[in-house]
Amino acid sequence: MLLELLLCFIATVGFGVIFSVPKRALLLAGLIGVLTWFNYHTLPIFGVNTVMATAISSFFAALVAHLLARKMRLPATTFALPGVIPLLPGGQAYSTMRSFVEGAYIQGLATGVETLLQAGAIAGGLVFVIALFSFGKGIGHRYEPSR
Amino acid sequence: MAKANQVMDICLLAGEIMLTYGAETYRVEDTLERMAKSANFSNVHCFATATGIFLSFEAEGKDDQMQMVRIDDRLQDLNKVAEVNQISREFVTGYISADEAQSQLQKVSVAPIHYPLWFIHLSAAVAGSIFSYLFGGSLADLLPVFFTALIASMTMVQIEKYLKVRFFAEFTASFLGGFSAIILYTLGLGLNVDQMIIGTVMPLVPGVTLTNALRDLMSGDLIAGTSRGAEALLTSLAIASGIALALTLTL
Repeated sequence: MLLELLLCFIATVGFGVIFSVPKRALLLAGLIGVLTWFNYHTLPIFGVNTVMATAISSFFAALVAHLLARKMRLPATTFALPGVIPLLPGGQAYSTMRSFVEGAYIQGLATGVETLLQAGAIAGGLVFVIALFSFGKGIGHRYEPSR
Repeated sequence: MAKANQVMDICLLAGEIMLTYGAETYRVEDTLERMAKSANFSNVHCFATATGIFLSFEAEGKDDQMQMVRIDDRLQDLNKVAEVNQISREFVTGYISADEAQSQLQKVSVAPIHYPLWFIHLSAAVAGSIFSYLFGGSLADLLPVFFTALIASMTMVQIEKYLKVRFFAEFTASFLGGFSAIILYTLGLGLNVDQMIIGTVMPLVPGVTLTNALRDLMSGDLIAGTSRGAEALLTSLAIASGIALALTLTL
């Protein structure tokens, strides 16, 4: 587990470099990646299913990212993006495609749905934090606010 | 008091840098409107999509001014976004003058990438190989994936340099990366071919585009959000079909 966390830190920092995250944010983004990986692998032990675990880890990654972004006056994406990278459903996406290539369409559809659910869970976590932090700055009202 | 033309130039330059290097649409619009308002122009409107920015405002006692820029390239360099963010903040609070803001922005706009290219390739290779391990591979996969991810990352950058066709770079990169992963596997290097391929293409994932698409849709920039979403989807499909081709050739 410790080895995995250390490797995850290096990998997240690597992704930070790919996205050209500013130097002062790089190591912090790596720590967020470690937090994400820890959550994602600890939650299923307590009986949380994978999609829910993804959503919760992405929520915490984005929460920490937004707080750090406030503090360091940087766009929140610089922290949140490397932070959620370890959650990407690369394995599921790959097996979806592999099933389709091999002609196992039903299997492919099943794993495809799994991939979409996990991607949706990441998005859900991110969006929830955006909603929390835009409190009081309502964007799309259905009715005009009363004046 | 800064002249209207100069402020227009500064605003559009800031917007162009931000949008090119991967800022969210709401950030571009918000920044430009704040900058124009801080220079005492009224009736400020900004409309940005993934491929262009319109900005209009009214100088006192003059007609409305309106200009647009077209954004051709969409690259990823979050450091430049952060820097422009900083400059615009200083400009809005009056900490730096219009001239200073302009020269600083021009410096950012011509500056090379934040990290040297070899370092980006190297970290793509390291990140890819580590992810092949994290996604259930073995430690023996680390070294072969290091090289395949390096191949994928370098192909991607080289092809993007010469070809204007989008998505083809991702396709070729993932094909070559996947193909070399399969070859290394058949040569006996590495134990899990699936994890090796996943690790190889991980650095190609369009992360910036995906998160920006999400952010744009959530903040109500529907055109920018859907077009970015389509771009991310097509990029992912290009990567997937590159791998699919490599698999069908070798199965």
